Amino acid sequence: MAIPYEFGYVKPTSLQEAIELKGKFQKEARVLAGGTDLVNEIKKGFRVPEMIIDVKGISELSKIEIVNGQLLIGALVTFSDIRKSQVIIDNMNILFEAAGMVASNGVRNRATMIGNICSAVACMDSAAPLLVHEATVHTASMDGKREVKIQNWFVDNRKTAILDNELVTHVSIPIPTVKYAGAYQKMMRYSGEDLSQANVGVLLFANGDCHVAFGSVGPTPKRSLKIENLLKSKGISVATIEEAKEMIETVIAPITDVRATKEYRMHMTKVMFERAMQTAMERIKMPKIITK
Amino acid sequence: MEEYKYIGKSVVKVDGKEKVSGAALYTDDLEFGPNMLYAEIVEGPHAHAMILSIDTSEAEQVPDVIAVVTGKDFPYNFGLYMQDRYIFAQDRVRFFGEQIAAVVARTPQAAMKAAKLVKVKYSTLPKVLSPLDAIKEGADLIHPNLKNYQHVPWFFPKPDTNVAHHRKIRKGDVDKGFADADYILEDTYEVPRFSHCAIEFHAAVAKYDLSGRLTVWASSQSPHTQRNLFAAAFAPLGIKHNDVRVIAPHVGGGFGSKAGVTMEIIAAAIAIKVPGHPVKVLWNREREFYNTYQRLGVVTKLKIGVKNDGRITALKHDLYWDAGAYVEYGANVVNAVGLSAIGPYRVENASIDSFCIYTNLPPGGPYRGFGYSEFLFGLESHMTRIAKHLGIDDVEIRRRNAIKEGELTAYGAHMNPNGLLQAIDAVAKEIKWNEKLKSNDPNIAIGKGFSLFWKAPAMPPNASSSCFLKFNEDASINLLVSGMDLGQGFLTVMAQIAAEVLQVPTSKIRTENPDTDRNPYEWQTVASHITWGCGNAVRKAAIDARDQIFDLIVRTKYLPKDMLYMDDEKVKCKTDPKFEIKLKDFIINGIQMEDGTFKGGPIIGRGVFMPEFTSTNANPETSQGGHPNVHYTVGAAAVIIEVDKQTGKIKVKRIVEAIDAGKALNPSLVKGQIIGGVLQGLSTAIYEEMKFDHRGKMLNPNFTDYKIPTALDVPDEIVPIIIEVPQPDGPFGARGVGEHPMIPVAPMIANAIDDALGIRLNSMPLTAEKICLTMLERAKKEKK
Repeated sequence: MAIPYEFGYVKPTSLQEAIELKGKFQKEARVLAGGTDLVNEIKKGFRVPEMIIDVKGISELSKIEIVNGQLLIGALVTFSDIRKSQVIIDNMNILFEAAGMVASNGVRNRATMIGNICSAVACMDSAAPLLVHEATVHTASMDGKREVKIQNWFVDNRKTAILDNELVTHVSIPIPTVKYAGAYQKMMRYSGEDLSQANVGVLLFANGDCHVAFGSVGPTPKRSLKIENLLKSKGISVATIEEAKEMIETVIAPITDVRATKEYRMHMTKVMFERAMQTAMERIKMPKIITK
Repeated sequence: MEEYKYIGKSVVKVDGKEKVSGAALYTDDLEFGPNMLYAEIVEGPHAHAMILSIDTSEAEQVPDVIAVVTGKDFPYNFGLYMQDRYIFAQDRVRFFGEQIAAVVARTPQAAMKAAKLVKVKYSTLPKVLSPLDAIKEGADLIHPNLKNYQHVPWFFPKPDTNVAHHRKIRKGDVDKGFADADYILEDTYEVPRFSHCAIEFHAAVAKYDLSGRLTVWASSQSPHTQRNLFAAAFAPLGIKHNDVRVIAPHVGGGFGSKAGVTMEIIAAAIAIKVPGHPVKVLWNREREFYNTYQRLGVVTKLKIGVKNDGRITALKHDLYWDAGAYVEYGANVVNAVGLSAIGPYRVENASIDSFCIYTNLPPGGPYRGFGYSEFLFGLESHMTRIAKHLGIDDVEIRRRNAIKEGELTAYGAHMNPNGLLQAIDAVAKEIKWNEKLKSNDPNIAIGKGFSLFWKAPAMPPNASSSCFLKFNEDASINLLVSGMDLGQGFLTVMAQIAAEVLQVPTSKIRTENPDTDRNPYEWQTVASHITWGCGNAVRKAAIDARDQIFDLIVRTKYLPKDMLYMDDEKVKCKTDPKFEIKLKDFIINGIQMEDGTFKGGPIIGRGVFMPEFTSTNANPETSQGGHPNVHYTVGAAAVIIEVDKQTGKIKVKRIVEAIDAGKALNPSLVKGQIIGGVLQGLSTAIYEEMKFDHRGKMLNPNFTDYKIPTALDVPDEIVPIIIEVPQPDGPFGARGVGEHPMIPVAPMIANAIDDALGIRLNSMPLTAEKICLTMLERAKKEKK
């Protein structure tokens, strides 16, 4: 399909150059990594930028590595990279699991996780895993570097805490010091590629702690400390999971749209929460977590 | 039984190499040089409105724009069965997204940019978005001019209403039939609209050259019908049929969407305004959804009376079709169903009212199954519900009522030979119908469902096919037909038919998609009639060529004609085993006589087929007296599903489907049709759903929110079964199987859901959400 809109294009080879460009164009520039959201928006004429800054030439942004007990995932890391990374499989299994449910193979080969949280569409798959793992988003600009906790990153549907002169360079995830296991559940209309109509991420720790996050059931994905505190204080059991399921009604605010009704989203979030808890409880008992 | 060499064999597709290698060209692939222009459509943003003015001045100023055209430029009606359609909206917009104008430019970008600058002023009208609203007293008229539209003689429009056609069946005595019934079940079913979702978009390139020749390259199921409708629409300009040439490249999926004429006429019309320039009109995915034919939606009210042993005593079927803004093709869906809505059953007392109703939604039109999937959803749901009520087995109630050869159809004609009972028994055996299944997982319920199906081609009584068969020097053949290979394998099967008659291998027969200038007439590749109709024409052409060959041998070799036969690219003689002559030795250049002269010349076969026994002459109040359908193809299917009781999600474990193909000319292609059709049926049953907002705007014209199955969603197993009860007038006994496989899927899934969970869903699609919310609702009621 032809694109009838005009825009500039530049491909910097260093982060410094990219930051300078972003500083120059501010919100008139948009960053191209995977482009799976950006190109569609331009085709449809939603948000046509004056300048596209293609960051694919900045190799330092494509790393997945562990530095000082922190898992670092760069801005060019695609969902396919995540699916192939032993570091992710060993240390952040829930992200590996969620990445496998993002769109289709073709899209996963291009789409980046950072792009996913920068587009910040409420139905994104990356948010719940990053929330339960208490990730931090790292940005860079001519003013220096900045860190934003993931729970403060999502401001509204399609709106983040990023500043007009900033680029996201990577996210960092602290690797827990106790044993842990996560599980991700996604509500889809079929088994093929679909945007989640609701999603749930849980992360259980051997010390009894647990983190729970919900996506696609409100303008922004979020953790529920209320549910976490319930499970922490009373311990995880069939009864407390049942109690937590009822509590979900007060925690999320799903809507009815072309994809699903709020009633079904609410019901499915409860079912998925229970299933995610069961899966995570099984996984934490295993010597090594195995997922598909 | 006769032994065949090419018929009944799974011959490899003749166009396979071309498609697999990428050599095959589709309309959008064709190159037309630097003079090519691109058109972009300006769409109406209202479902029903009057156009007050169109200001194109700003659009015309955009660089590279050549012309802006509007409805005023083309004041012509057109349509296949009823001329209610316009190239661009005239004074009135009738559905959201209808074409109002087009910009033609040297680049697609310029056209798109300028299209946004065309300013149209509207005054909105009350809109009608459902068929039941459209027939209410005082409903706003969508076509005030209905009474003046030309239409085929078998349509009965109701002037000054929104009813474009009403097909009535009155057979036997329905009141008495219901009075005789031990049990009567009456209910309403709803089937929404669906989209074909062919992978290739609609595409057309048209060129009107400086000599007045109009050539259209189009992704099409109907090249000759398009030529016919173009010539009819543009007749006021002095354009004759032989001035119009339609060339049909390969097609990336049709399913009915590329039948008749839709957007192709826009390219043709624009081309006439810019002589000498090829003009390309390419649809996008969104328009594929909202501005081509959609499958019609329908609300059906069904009442069936039965005796305690399950025998049907009476059937009353009222169907209210949401036919959309234009019904030039869709009204015939309504007609076809009106004639056949008794299903494949013996029904002595029947009343059917099938109403074609205009609404302010996109035009309804042909879609694989042509209305039969829609009415059989209710009918086959009903049969299972009745069986359940009476305590009769699902299979048994269908066996008891199944229509047999010679019994009367709804319109009083005799049913053709068919293998319905064989199909029922084969499916019941293969699916192990009597075996009860139970899941070990308490969250999973297992259910089984059964359904029958039938369908007849819906065609005018004079829909014809024809064929030219040309031999080449090496005895290879060019087989010229005008059916379209839509992936179903039409060209391969035509080659097999010619191969069998002439005993020339299919590898030496070249047959390709048509050019109306070169290839002989074909009505359309629709209605699952092409193997049957065009197959008969090919068979006749091959016999004609064979006759010419034999006559030549008689004339030159003095052998008796009835002792001659074809074998291994040679003519041989039963009474003279030593005689043989290779086709390549005479097929073009003739046979030399002792005096040095030659007899014969190029062998060219010709075959024409028209179903001369059909007629639409019938009493419009009862539909009795005519013979509108050529024959029915029948079959049966069953399914095993697993349902997740917490989420409502269905996993299809096994589908078995048997179809009576008459004779499977190419079994692997028939099996391909069964598997593909089952998947398309499953898709409409549990995934697809068109959603419109209160303005009549489609909300999900994309695959993000309109779901068709991926490889991950196919059933664990689909078992195709071929039954062969020959069709006496079919080529080698064959009848059509193209549309049918999808028809039984939705009702058998609904029946399986009922079996698994004890809930009955009367509206499609049967989504996980609908199943789940129905279960929750029931649980809530049980608590109270």
